[in-house]
Amino acid sequence: MKKRTVLLGVMLVILIAVMAGCKDSESKASNEQGGSEGEGSGFSIAMRTLATPYVESHPDINEDKYVKELEKLTGTDINIRLVPHNEYVERMTLMLASNDIPDVMQAGGGVLGPELAGGVEAGAFMPLDDLLKKHGQHLLEAIPQEAWDRVTYDGKIYAIPEYLSNPSRRGTAIRMDLLEKTGLDVPKTTDEFLEVMRAFKELGVKNPYQGREDFKYSDTFFGAFDAFPYQWELYNDEVVPKFMAGDKIKDALEYYRTMYEEGLIHPEFLTIQQPEYRSNIIAGNTGMWSMNAEEVNAWEQEIQNNVPEAEVAIIPSPVGPDGKGGHYLYGQVTRSFLISSETEANVEDIIKFFDWQVTEEAERFFTYGIEGDTYTLNDDGSVNYEMKDDTNFLNEQHYRNRWLWMIRDATYTEGILELTEEGQQLMSVFDEILSNEGRDSILYDPPLEAMESNPDIRPGSDTPSDVWMTGAAKIILGQEPLDYHDTIVEEWLNKGGSQAIEEATKRYNEDDGVLSR
Amino acid sequence: MTSRKLALIWKHKALYLIALPGIAYFIIFKYIPIMGSVIAFQDYNIFQGITGSAWVGLEQFERMFQYPEFLRILKNTLLINLYDIVFGFSAPIILALMLNEVRKMLAKRIIQTIVYMPHFLSWVIISGIFIGILSPSTGMVNHFLNLFGIDSIYFLGEDSFIRTIIVGSGMWRETGWSTIIYLAALAGINPQLYEAADIDGANRWQQTWKITIPTLMPTIMMLFLLQIGNFLDFGFERVDVFLNPFNRVNGEIFDTYIYEAGLLQNQYSYTTAIGIFKSVVGLILLVGANFVSRKTTGNSLY
Repeated sequence: MKKRTVLLGVMLVILIAVMAGCKDSESKASNEQGGSEGEGSGFSIAMRTLATPYVESHPDINEDKYVKELEKLTGTDINIRLVPHNEYVERMTLMLASNDIPDVMQAGGGVLGPELAGGVEAGAFMPLDDLLKKHGQHLLEAIPQEAWDRVTYDGKIYAIPEYLSNPSRRGTAIRMDLLEKTGLDVPKTTDEFLEVMRAFKELGVKNPYQGREDFKYSDTFFGAFDAFPYQWELYNDEVVPKFMAGDKIKDALEYYRTMYEEGLIHPEFLTIQQPEYRSNIIAGNTGMWSMNAEEVNAWEQEIQNNVPEAEVAIIPSPVGPDGKGGHYLYGQVTRSFLISSETEANVEDIIKFFDWQVTEEAERFFTYGIEGDTYTLNDDGSVNYEMKDDTNFLNEQHYRNRWLWMIRDATYTEGILELTEEGQQLMSVFDEILSNEGRDSILYDPPLEAMESNPDIRPGSDTPSDVWMTGAAKIILGQEPLDYHDTIVEEWLNKGGSQAIEEATKRYNEDDGVLSR
Repeated sequence: MTSRKLALIWKHKALYLIALPGIAYFIIFKYIPIMGSVIAFQDYNIFQGITGSAWVGLEQFERMFQYPEFLRILKNTLLINLYDIVFGFSAPIILALMLNEVRKMLAKRIIQTIVYMPHFLSWVIISGIFIGILSPSTGMVNHFLNLFGIDSIYFLGEDSFIRTIIVGSGMWRETGWSTIIYLAALAGINPQLYEAADIDGANRWQQTWKITIPTLMPTIMMLFLLQIGNFLDFGFERVDVFLNPFNRVNGEIFDTYIYEAGLLQNQYSYTTAIGIFKSVVGLILLVGANFVSRKTTGNSLY
């Protein structure tokens, strides 16, 4: 008897599973039909989650109320396919290789990156010039030419870019309440910063400067010396990595070594990962750090949950011998959207969908959400939107402003910042502090060929190459003297660096795919 | 095919029917994908596909042998696998023998459950635990070292500990789980053998040495050969979770390099060539070990 019940149970489960499977494929089929009938409204779009909490914790983003509202406003039926943040390149190339290409794909800062696996060159995406002229007038008007240049290949526009009018996004954040306790002024030069960090240490601050793995968000002081090891510059008629342009890199390394020796930087900054970097700051264990300036108010609030008297401000980054400083400058394009050349969806409607995003109606929707739900309209037509402190509210707002809003100036969301005093301060931080600092680099698009085959010597967009990093770590940890850097350079050159410099210089002189401000 | 053979198949039709899903599995998921390896001889482009990409002969293999880091990665792969076989393979045998000597049933059960629990944790969690306990500022291990006046060691920040950590974490995860088969084999040993040995005056050590080990030997050999079959197939994830630029020199193996260069940099042909090289080396080792085993112990896989 018992056996039979078990068997029956198993059969039932299988039956349900099979039925569920059928149902799923049915709905898929009907969806696809909707697209191919040419009603012009349905299309699929692959988007990277960008570690956005609201997106990653959502049970089904396509059922989200904002997505539904967006479809209503634009008269489309979009099907978002999420691409996990950490497996972005693999998942994207897998889609391309298996010919399972969604109608729209979101790439990173250009159209020649590894996530597209040469798709633009191979003709897998559609040139958009004519379509934009017909249906994308708003886009052509709103997006600056430099951003269009970044998504142009062989004279044709291949993507619609989300752009950045102020490429200096990272700032130096400091706990003002702690600075007040030390009695010191806001530091300016690298020496003054060192003094403040020492004073923090005396106060008992665990990590005067935070730091994070791969020198990511740990390179404030490399910026002061203009020695970001992943950037390139013209030096003695050659385009070389900044760590080979004179001795400034040694000054920077010496500075970091001092910080490490005196315990001014987190002792494990070489391997500390993002969540721990963030939680250290939130827990109030950190005096100073490098961060994306737009999030400073949200972080301050979270720190205040642990340390009520905490106050955070973005101050001008430390300046080095040349009187300048700042973090690395981002590219003009943060995300770009390409249309598959084999799409069966109505391309005009896709362009219109993006074109709508730079209109005022779109701005209000993405900034404040849905009327009657997240905001109300006053009699005079102005918006009544209530800011709240809780994390869920902020995550939802962040998602609307920065993820779902695909085409915008990604510097900051003015409509939100202007509502509060802190927000207004932040806007002035952007306009008065950050826009005046930052270090530029010579970049190549498509990337240098000499780098492609050798991952060891290739830097990331904001991380140094492995060869350099391994050696530099030894110097900072005090295992090797400063002069060991010459050995690193030699190794880097031997592993293909010489060819890279040769190619970079040649292309620079011929102005072949050189990106620079 | 003769009618006799067909009749034989018909006679055992039930067995063939049972084998069918397994055969289908191997054909669909193992044999058909092997054909994809031809891209190692092409300059594969995902948009042109296997049929459209240009043939380049052995160019990818040449490039592989010319790659300056090739020997280092090969050395890492061989060493890590070797350590894993030497330590990772012997640990469960020793643990099983020790558990076998535990007389209190309750204690044995509890220990067994505890030691095989890590098997169910993912590598991401395990790396989190190891990074935590090895941390120079907050880690248990370094607190312990400090008690003896030894300075904190940045275990994951340098290249001299990474192989130990990779192999050690694998042992922590799998040792308990791997004892299950040995314990089953141990349970199958005829108790009369021990009784007879007792009467003859053999102590426990002698009993282990003369009865337990010899009866376990076929199981050990069989598992060993299976393990050799996976040689060089160390797995990507368990290494990748521990790697950072500071320990990569000694920690990078073929699997992680293939991921970095192949999947992240779109060099599919090149990394397929590396994968083929790896498989061929693994196959040679397996055939060799099987041959040696057959000659010396009489046990073999086939």
